[in-house]
Amino acid sequence: MFGKGLVKGLQITWKEFWAPKLTVQYPEKQHTVPERFHGKFVLDVDKCIACGLCANACPNRVISLNKQKVGKKQYLTDYQMNIQYCLFCGLCVESCNKDALHFTKDFNMNQYFYKNIPLVLVRREAPAEPLEEPTAGGEDQPKPKLKPQAPKEEKVAKPAAPAAESEAAAGKEGQ
Amino acid sequence: MLENLFVGTADWLRSLLGGIGFLPTEIAESIVLLVKLVAVLVFILVNALWLVYMERKVAAFMQARIGPNRVGPWGLLQTTCDIGKLISKEIIIPKKADKVVFLLAPVLIFLPPLMVFAVLPLGKNMAALDLNIGVFYLLAIASLSTLFFFMGGWASNSKYSLLGAMRTVAQMVSYELPLVLSLLGVIMIVGSLNMSDIIAAQEHTWLIFTQPIAFLIFFIAAVAETNRCPFDLVEGESEIINGPYTEYGGMGFAMFFLAEYANIMVVCAMATIMFLGGWHAPFGLTFIPSWVWFFIKMYVLIFIVMQFRWTYPRIRIDQLMGFGWKVLVPLSLANIFVTGIGMYIYRAIGW
Repeated sequence: MFGKGLVKGLQITWKEFWAPKLTVQYPEKQHTVPERFHGKFVLDVDKCIACGLCANACPNRVISLNKQKVGKKQYLTDYQMNIQYCLFCGLCVESCNKDALHFTKDFNMNQYFYKNIPLVLVRREAPAEPLEEPTAGGEDQPKPKLKPQAPKEEKVAKPAAPAAESEAAAGKEGQ
Repeated sequence: MLENLFVGTADWLRSLLGGIGFLPTEIAESIVLLVKLVAVLVFILVNALWLVYMERKVAAFMQARIGPNRVGPWGLLQTTCDIGKLISKEIIIPKKADKVVFLLAPVLIFLPPLMVFAVLPLGKNMAALDLNIGVFYLLAIASLSTLFFFMGGWASNSKYSLLGAMRTVAQMVSYELPLVLSLLGVIMIVGSLNMSDIIAAQEHTWLIFTQPIAFLIFFIAAVAETNRCPFDLVEGESEIINGPYTEYGGMGFAMFFLAEYANIMVVCAMATIMFLGGWHAPFGLTFIPSWVWFFIKMYVLIFIVMQFRWTYPRIRIDQLMGFGWKVLVPLSLANIFVTGIGMYIYRAIGW
């Protein structure tokens, strides 16, 4: 019959009119952020050994860190990310072999002033003498944790291509 | 009480002016008329503001969105805010534009809807002016707005504006014909051009039931007359960047924009009066005031017009002309013919 399609079209829009709306009203409500979201960075300072792998891995040279030798160990004094140049590729997080650098789900890094944009994760003074108790505790704790993990990954990584290694590392970060 | 709210107000004003004493009745009557016309103007403006908001809401709801909801409660002040912004903008006149006509067009564009609403009975005894040849006047004035669109388009001295303006005229000429011819069936049955008589004739049966084809033709032609989708070739945002309004900014554009909604209101009010029984309450629900009924019917039609916009794609100019001349005009002529025969038979039976 002539005009059937016209009526059908009207029916569809009428149905859509009453259908639930998909808009999420942002400031009041938010979509759930996925588990592996690349958001703001956090640095677990106790785990960090100031090796500088993350700074080398960064394609944009976003990360700048300063360290100082205290006793036998390197002590991280300054860790800053020029987040305005960051492309959130995650290479720094993957490259961290102490599992110290992480993503969070916080994506709101807006600032009113340009000078506030760089993300300062660590800024502290180096102690004059090596602190025995906390550094020893901090060193000891991650080591037994990492050791069972590391061989597992090597088993997976060794037979496979180097691409698999990065995948395994990404999987580690996801956890 | 509520039924006679507006009529009572007019009577009160009349008696107040009569009570002053020294005013001649003619002057008192003209003051009352002036108040009525101002009330109609305010009514149109407020409704146009509301309709812009409603259009955006309807559009959003049909696209699984929410629509404006930030300015004021539920975004109700959004249009007011937009108009405030547009008022504060500079009026830019193109260098080669015809300045007088260019500025005159948006000023005059509100005239036809105002003039039409002055004679429409918005409720029981609620026509500001009850004209004897109301329908004739209404048709003559309603098509006048095309002139102002054309003025704007011509004076802009821009190819898009001119193209859009030409399309307005072409569309008006080809769709005014089925519009008027479809109303002829109604007028034949009622036997009067007075709108109050037409409404009175629909007390028991709405004319949409006796003239369904005429209603369809009228509604389609009315949508085309107001340059609404699917007949919005005049504006055609994607092809001729808003047609006659291309060179307008600020308040000039706002006037055209609001006038579009005022025109929709006019044609929907016309359809309500001619086919949907005007202010008559259906199913004997007379406890709701007559002007509320008129309003509800008008807004249902406006909603359908808005729904058209978000359902149908824009048609081509040749399809538009073909549909107008090859389908609507013959159909409306056939409708008149059938109505005439039907009336003759009824009369022969002696009904």
